[in-house]
Amino acid sequence: MNKKVTLTVFTSLIATAIFALEPPPVGSAAPDFSLPDAKGQEHSLAQYKGKYVVLEWFNPECPFVKKHYGSDNMQKLQKEYTDKGVVWLTIDSNAPGTEGNLTPEQAQKITTSWKTHETALLLDPDGKVGQAYGSKNTPNMVIISPDGKIVYHGAIDSKATPNPADIPSSTNYVKAALDQSLAGKSISTPQTKPYGCSVKYKSS
Amino acid sequence: MRPVSRIAAFLVAWSLLALASQSPGQVYQGKELVKAELLADTSAIVPGKPFTVGLLLRMAPHWHTYWAFSGDAGLPTELKWKLPSGWKVGEIEWPIPLKTIDPGDIETYGYENEVLLMQEITPPRKLDDSTVKLAAEANWLVCEKICIPGSATPQLELPISTTSQPANSELFARYRHLLPQNWPGSNVASASWSRVGRDLRLKITSESLAKYPALDFFPLPGPDVVVGHPTIESHNTNEVILRVPIESSEKNLASMAGLVVFSQQANSEDRAAWRISVAPTISAAKAAPPARGIFTFLFFGFLGGIILNLMPCVLPVISLKIFGFIQQAGQSRRKILRSGIAFTVGIFAWFVGLALLLVALKSGGRDVTWGGFQFTNAYFVLALSVIVLVFALNLFGVFEISLPQGMTRGLLSTTERKDDLGSFFQGVFATVLATPCTAPFLGTALGFAFSQSVVVILAMFFAIAAGMSAPYLLLSAQPAWLRFLPQPGAWMLHVKQFMGFLLLATLLFLLYVLGAQRGLEGAIWASCFLLVISIACWMKGAFVLPTASAAKRAVVFVLMFALIVGSGIYFIGGKFRSSNLALTDSRLRGDWQAFTPERLQAELDQGHSVFVDFTAAWCITCKFNEANVLENSEVREAFRRHAIVKLKADWTNGDPAITKLLQQFGRPGVPLYVLYPGKNEEPIVFPEVLTKGMVLEKLQTAASRVAAQ
Repeated sequence: MNKKVTLTVFTSLIATAIFALEPPPVGSAAPDFSLPDAKGQEHSLAQYKGKYVVLEWFNPECPFVKKHYGSDNMQKLQKEYTDKGVVWLTIDSNAPGTEGNLTPEQAQKITTSWKTHETALLLDPDGKVGQAYGSKNTPNMVIISPDGKIVYHGAIDSKATPNPADIPSSTNYVKAALDQSLAGKSISTPQTKPYGCSVKYKSS
Repeated sequence: MRPVSRIAAFLVAWSLLALASQSPGQVYQGKELVKAELLADTSAIVPGKPFTVGLLLRMAPHWHTYWAFSGDAGLPTELKWKLPSGWKVGEIEWPIPLKTIDPGDIETYGYENEVLLMQEITPPRKLDDSTVKLAAEANWLVCEKICIPGSATPQLELPISTTSQPANSELFARYRHLLPQNWPGSNVASASWSRVGRDLRLKITSESLAKYPALDFFPLPGPDVVVGHPTIESHNTNEVILRVPIESSEKNLASMAGLVVFSQQANSEDRAAWRISVAPTISAAKAAPPARGIFTFLFFGFLGGIILNLMPCVLPVISLKIFGFIQQAGQSRRKILRSGIAFTVGIFAWFVGLALLLVALKSGGRDVTWGGFQFTNAYFVLALSVIVLVFALNLFGVFEISLPQGMTRGLLSTTERKDDLGSFFQGVFATVLATPCTAPFLGTALGFAFSQSVVVILAMFFAIAAGMSAPYLLLSAQPAWLRFLPQPGAWMLHVKQFMGFLLLATLLFLLYVLGAQRGLEGAIWASCFLLVISIACWMKGAFVLPTASAAKRAVVFVLMFALIVGSGIYFIGGKFRSSNLALTDSRLRGDWQAFTPERLQAELDQGHSVFVDFTAAWCITCKFNEANVLENSEVREAFRRHAIVKLKADWTNGDPAITKLLQQFGRPGVPLYVLYPGKNEEPIVFPEVLTKGMVLEKLQTAASRVAAQ
């Protein structure tokens, strides 16, 4: 290989590594991705251009995720906004062999038994998409605008506890951000500190 | 078993039971993950004597619970105490945590195997029972590969006695050793913060610290701040620079509480830490004023200037001016406009003069603040009293103001100009009275201006002057609006006299301020001087008439002069000057305590929440807030319930320690209300005008923030 090419490849690798450390800030372009759902069908961010897209990081074993699914809070949210034309992509970035990693079969089963309403449950076992977004928690919520920009990144709501009893008294940031976006207003709280379990990424 | 040994065995069992009566735990899939226990560092409770209680969490191998800031995942352990009324509990003292890095660059702060979370408890001075049962609801999240929330309500029963012995000494000593220390003196280490784009930079200059190979910053961000992973940017022999990325949009964030952790090896047992706090009195980092655009501040200055017209201390003068406009209503348009411009120039002259004086004093290194600079000075208040009284007497018709003829001749060639000069001085006078009314707008605007360059300060004062004079300029440029005002007549004399009473009311307020500064005696001596001034004014009105001979006028003037100077020397130079500064303590009522920076620090060190009321006798807004909100029974009860220590910082005489603190909060004057929820918590600043609902709500949030720690 030519010396110059090697150098270019090397610097771009470093650039990518540095970029991976810093999650894309709110307001910047959402990194594109393509992931399979439980049936093997690929979903890319590009194909949903022109629509609001919600990314939800998922782990069925995590008590914070269970808080929102056990209380039907997440399903209601998914139903309400997919009915309004929002694309809802639930992503499992947990590595094989860790708690929360889903095989396609398990993924299909859980969407049926939990009566979820997402557009698709995507499998990201090598964690590339999760890390591209700097997603560290389950649940972690990202909202992408129709023109492909990250407009919200953070927690689902204001009370960082695993207790479902706290849901009624908390502010749902995702709901607020989506309502404001769909009404053509700017989002009052575009970034919060996500809370929950850590995403169990593959050891590199 | 012999009876004696049976009793001994019973006693041992009982005391063990008393020290650790219950150890509830968390069982998951048949495995005990966390065992929770309450322990005290004392064998008995002595009424009024603080002691320490610890929540001991023992985790199964490889499982961990979290620190006050859990990092990228997890949740801090919570403790909710169920204490009898009258008992006080401090904040959790968190041992220095371990930093764990998991795949995917996930950093968390927590404890493995075992942790003791200590809290100081202060029992009331009087206790009637023989034992006391203390209970706390503990909530935690314990994680290994998975995370499981757990909770327990461990209890601790302790006898009440007049003496006590240390207990669990080894355990408490071990964890006290792991507590972070306060930031050392500047001879050992100094820290400074700066903001570079989205990053905070913490520069620590310390030879002793730089020796340690493992150095880190464990952040304790505020509730809405999303913080990235702190990294070391450079590490020299005597200087370390840490970078703390801020991912949320707090552009004004200038520092962050946290721990500077150092050891030979990361996460080792011998790790130590210094606490960096953002509380104003102790922190090396100074909160910078919000970096808003200069034009925003100039706009607020302008707006504040307009609002100054509505302030009670300016209102009488304003009426005076409006009254002048009515008088002029019949005159020519040009004349009115000129008078309006003269008034405006008067306003500008005062503000610019003040600005230049401030700039001069600022460069002289003196602590100068708005309102207080003048109003903390008893002689300024006295001078103002004299002016107000003389104007009042003038309004009552005791004497007429006419400039000395020589001066008039020298300065003015036409009678028209004499009116202008009158307007000019009215403008000056209106602004002199306006200065103590630090309206909320003005507060921010001036707070900004004082930290700025000379040009900005001047621009700021210009903006305020422009705002204040805008209505008059408008009225004089648009005399059409004046036409709507009533026709001149006999009623004008009555209005004029009534205005005199308004000025007398202002005088009463000024005397109250003098009384607060110099005590009753001081106020009386000042009043004596004012009486003599009144007599001098009367002499002028009664005997210095245009019809009187020049010789008679000269005699009266000499007498007046002698009276004023003589009484000035006797009452003010002698009696008033020697009257003692009023003692602030004597004015404290109810459950308020006198503020000193040391007192604040001591209360925070003991884990108490502290509310500081920065007030002054001459501050009407302060008095209003105190009477209607702070002394309201519901609010007082809320302070008592949350066990918040109330400190009163009395700035009536311009205490320099208080001036310094006001400046750190970017405020040029009082009122200022600050709630310090705890030592490591960011202080909460209240707005300048308080409402009951707002205070109750903030106390509640602060209390839950402390409880959530």
